[in-house]
Amino acid sequence: MYIRVVSVFIRGKYSMRLFEFYSPRTFDEATALLSQYGADAKIIAGGTDLLIELRKPGAKTPKAIIDISKISELTGIREEGDLVVLNALTTHSDILRSQTLQKHASLLCSAASTIGSPQIRNRGTVGGNIMNAATCADMVPPLIALDAQVTLKSRGGTRTSSLSEFFVKPYVTSARPDEILIDIRFPKPPAAASSSFVKLGRRNAVSISRLSVAAILHVEKNALVKEARIVPGSAFPTWQRVMEAESILVGKKPSRELFAEAGKKVAEVMISITGRRWSTEYKEPVIAVLVRRALEACWDN
Amino acid sequence: MGSKHKIIGKPERRVDAWGKVTGRAKFAEDYSVAHQLWGKVLRSKHPHAKILRIDTTKAETLPGVEAIVTARDIPGSKVFGIVVKNQQILCEDRVRYLGDGIALVAARSREICEEAVALIEIDYEPLPVISDPEEALKPGALPIHGDKNEFVHHKVCKGDVEKGFAEADFIIECTFKTQFVEHSYIEPEAVLAEPAEQGGVVITGSVQNLFSSRRSVAEALNLPLSRVQIIQATLGGSFGGKDEVMTSMCCRAAILATKTGKPVKMVNSREESMLESYKRHPYVLYYKWGAKHDGSITAMEVRCIADGGAYASMSPFVTWRSVVQATGPYCCENVKTDIYAAYTNNNYTGAMRGFGSPQVNFAIESMMDELAAKVGMNPLEIRMKNGFENGAVTATGQKLTHTVSLKEVLTKAAQEIGFEAKWQKYRSLKSGEKKRGVGLACSYRGVSLGAEGTDAAETIVSVQTDGSVIVSSGVTDMGQGAQTQMSQIAAEVLGITMDRIQFLNTNTSRVADSGPTVASRGTIMGGTAAKNAAEKVKTTLLEVGAAMIGCDVGSLDLAENYLINVKTNERLASFSELCAECFRKGKPMMGFGWHHSPPTSWDEEHGQGDAYFTFVYGANATEVEVDTETGKVNVIDFVSVHDVGKAINRGMVIGQMCGGVAMGLGYGLLEEFEIEEGVPKQLNFDEYLIATAMDVPRIRTIIVENEDPAGPFGAKSVGEPTNELAAPAIVNAIFNATGRRLYEIPANLERVLLGHKLTRTGKRGSEVKANHG
Ligand SMILES: Cc1cc2nc3c(=O)[nH]c(=O)nc-3n(C[C@H](O)[C@H](O)[C@H](O)COP(=O)(O)OP(=O)(O)OC[C@H]3O[C@@H](n4cnc5c(N)ncnc54)[C@H](O)[C@@H]3O)c2cc1C
Repeated sequence: MYIRVVSVFIRGKYSMRLFEFYSPRTFDEATALLSQYGADAKIIAGGTDLLIELRKPGAKTPKAIIDISKISELTGIREEGDLVVLNALTTHSDILRSQTLQKHASLLCSAASTIGSPQIRNRGTVGGNIMNAATCADMVPPLIALDAQVTLKSRGGTRTSSLSEFFVKPYVTSARPDEILIDIRFPKPPAAASSSFVKLGRRNAVSISRLSVAAILHVEKNALVKEARIVPGSAFPTWQRVMEAESILVGKKPSRELFAEAGKKVAEVMISITGRRWSTEYKEPVIAVLVRRALEACWDN
Repeated sequence: MGSKHKIIGKPERRVDAWGKVTGRAKFAEDYSVAHQLWGKVLRSKHPHAKILRIDTTKAETLPGVEAIVTARDIPGSKVFGIVVKNQQILCEDRVRYLGDGIALVAARSREICEEAVALIEIDYEPLPVISDPEEALKPGALPIHGDKNEFVHHKVCKGDVEKGFAEADFIIECTFKTQFVEHSYIEPEAVLAEPAEQGGVVITGSVQNLFSSRRSVAEALNLPLSRVQIIQATLGGSFGGKDEVMTSMCCRAAILATKTGKPVKMVNSREESMLESYKRHPYVLYYKWGAKHDGSITAMEVRCIADGGAYASMSPFVTWRSVVQATGPYCCENVKTDIYAAYTNNNYTGAMRGFGSPQVNFAIESMMDELAAKVGMNPLEIRMKNGFENGAVTATGQKLTHTVSLKEVLTKAAQEIGFEAKWQKYRSLKSGEKKRGVGLACSYRGVSLGAEGTDAAETIVSVQTDGSVIVSSGVTDMGQGAQTQMSQIAAEVLGITMDRIQFLNTNTSRVADSGPTVASRGTIMGGTAAKNAAEKVKTTLLEVGAAMIGCDVGSLDLAENYLINVKTNERLASFSELCAECFRKGKPMMGFGWHHSPPTSWDEEHGQGDAYFTFVYGANATEVEVDTETGKVNVIDFVSVHDVGKAINRGMVIGQMCGGVAMGLGYGLLEEFEIEEGVPKQLNFDEYLIATAMDVPRIRTIIVENEDPAGPFGAKSVGEPTNELAAPAIVNAIFNATGRRLYEIPANLERVLLGHKLTRTGKRGSEVKANHG
């Protein structure tokens, strides 16, 4: 472990903001530091969200920054029986290239491929994406569609939480300051299910989601929908499956019309939650289209 | 034909490439010296307000602060401006936009500057904020300067528009709107100002137009021009953007350096840069055309209002180019154009690549397609019907005496993309999720400054005793490649290879005032001066050579680093030996090249005259795919055709063409610097979106070369014309795809899907987060 003192360049201003920089190699070192500093510490993984955050005017400077990128147990993707496990430091580039994920959850690969640019995908981690909890975080809708669980570790022990219950509001999760997110795990969807992720941004790269949709569709041999999962991104304050729309599909024969109907339902639910806002005139028709397209993409697979 | 030149026309490597790719190039921020202080500006808290009180006492006592300066401390002129002197170096009693500076701090560190600025107390009395130029022009609107907000009215009058409209079979009337655009140079503004040994100041900075900046510094400090030296650091882009904002920074740093007697460095963060710097003018454009069923145009009436923002800056010149070009390269007997610029409390607006043409081209080229639709012609046919040919007379009554290649570039662009067949096919396709469309746009553009102002430049070619050569010019290189062009021209004339040439960054004390490097005049002005300079040296060298060899001058020439016999090609002496001999004989080995542009004329009252000494022609054709359910537009193919007269360096011409298209594509689809009630909404590239490599398709470039005697080796210009056509071509392609015309740019998701813009109310997520702390 080593300590460095760093001064950070803050948005449009230069003020000396000193903090201690730790680079622990093990979980124990990391959790010990976290329990010591509590809310005065900030974890850094890839730093692609945190550094921007620290530059903002009025941002509180942490007393310590704990770089978890040297903890080797935190990297890697693996299968554990019926589960797929992504360790928190898995980068978007890792996800995009993973054979395991291609096979069991290709929507994660699609989602990872839309994030930022190659540089951002090489640094940005799935753990950081979740913990930052921006409404436009692209990895979250697919993971919620996959019914993922997160594992959190602190000095006191380890606990799990379902991802869909993990978020409190935009940029706030239910993790305590002394907890590290160590992995994300989800059950493999049935082999017959297929998945998709569609994202709409203003431009074709380095573009945050204006709207996105993650979908999983399981159509049985009898050509009827057994299960459907639909999770929109950048639509709600926090993410959720839209059960009202999913239930429209179950037991029916897939068709463009059916998918469009589900899309309309999602738009309706969105408005019932967020109310009518400046952007609703645009988002209402477009979320419906994206849901339809996401389902069509599953069906085409 | 190409074979007559050895270096001209070749894709020679850029002379600045090596330094830039190895990181050795020194940009302004890279200059630091001993005892240097940091300088910082305190900017306004209100877009429009009276300043009631400025109290700097607390800040002055902060340890490490070496000077605090307000407008009162400026010994000379407190204002500057190239046309209208009303831009404040520091505001004394009134602020007019959020970027206005009120006080300066010089301190031992950036951090102390930051703290000191926060300790300065200002009392304001807010004034009504005028953010809409049309509101600003209304009678009774509070004047931002003097007694009214209208500060420019340019006219063009030809024939009789009333008569023209009476003769028309029908009339088309449309209103268009364009947006503020940020230059987006990669390097934010930076300077280092040092007190000079014998008095005065030496400034090293990211300055585009050194001579105008120098004039303002001298006036602010009451110094003769000879005591203000500005040295151009290698520039990280400018696109017209490092003029007044740099003048202001140079003045401020120079004032602090003079006051403290120490070097002072100032560097803007990206946010400060976006907040303070000037933008491309938004225009409201009212176009009314009368036409006949055969597609001919009987009258064109145009009225435009440009948002000048808080200061006059280059608005008078920018809008003058607009008035000359507002009706495009199209024949019409009856033209009436009025262009106004108004003061508002927005960012001031000034020079930006294109300089008043992108706005009017968007309107003209949209109108042309509307006209085509009305008379049942295709967009190519309507342009071929109305476009200029050799000898055409422009709206300003100028008879074009050069090769008018409008139809050549148009036809080439259309053919390359397969325009007519695609256009026909796409317009008849029924609805679909993704629809394709093709679009066309063309223009003519006056080269260099035209009747805007004095147009002359100097380049110096200095041959060393060992046969190496140093070239310097009053024309600056900001990445566009001016140094390489001028080096190639000098090398061509001197018959030497490029590796012999070393180009120096511009230094105001070492070359003559050459005017601003704007208006795509680098090659035609600086290049011609380089040619003249090199020719002078060549004459001397050949005379020395003739004496040395014992033959007459006429039998000698310089080629491939040798003095040769023109008849036999025999190598008589190496260039180096010749130079050494020249030195021994005591002959001058330095050539001063001066070029003054051919005459132009302008009658401001009637808006008639020979506006520019020559023009260039260009055409863009594009194919887009419109997602009709989301409004997302993808540009999938692009053809850019420009007549550049002569390509001095093909690689760099192609570079300009591709860069211009990428920038124009951003203008058409993405970029919008939004200002609400005087407050800019985007201050960094997270929210101000420019095109990425993934948004720009493969660009097919076609260089047309109709050599023009007005330029060196027939070269004209290319920098700006490449950036003025992409937006209308794209919007026309969207029309072909959807059948719906957009009258405002950028054609973003909401405009394409809904037909209008949506404006954010309330805070966005990231702001909410910042407030959580
Ligand atoms: C130019 C650019 C483009 C981008 N484009 C996209 C995009 O298209 N889509 C998208 O979703 N995001 C995008 N992002 C955001 C960002 O890259 C991603 O959210 C990324 O996944 C964050 O991961 P990181 O490792 O860099 O997080 P960091 O910045 O290191 O951390 C982010 C937050 O999570 C916390 N944290 C990180 N890891 C852990 C952990 N294991 N346990 C507990 N807390 C932790 C940190 O304390 C911090 O609060 C972009 C960012 C940039 C700068």
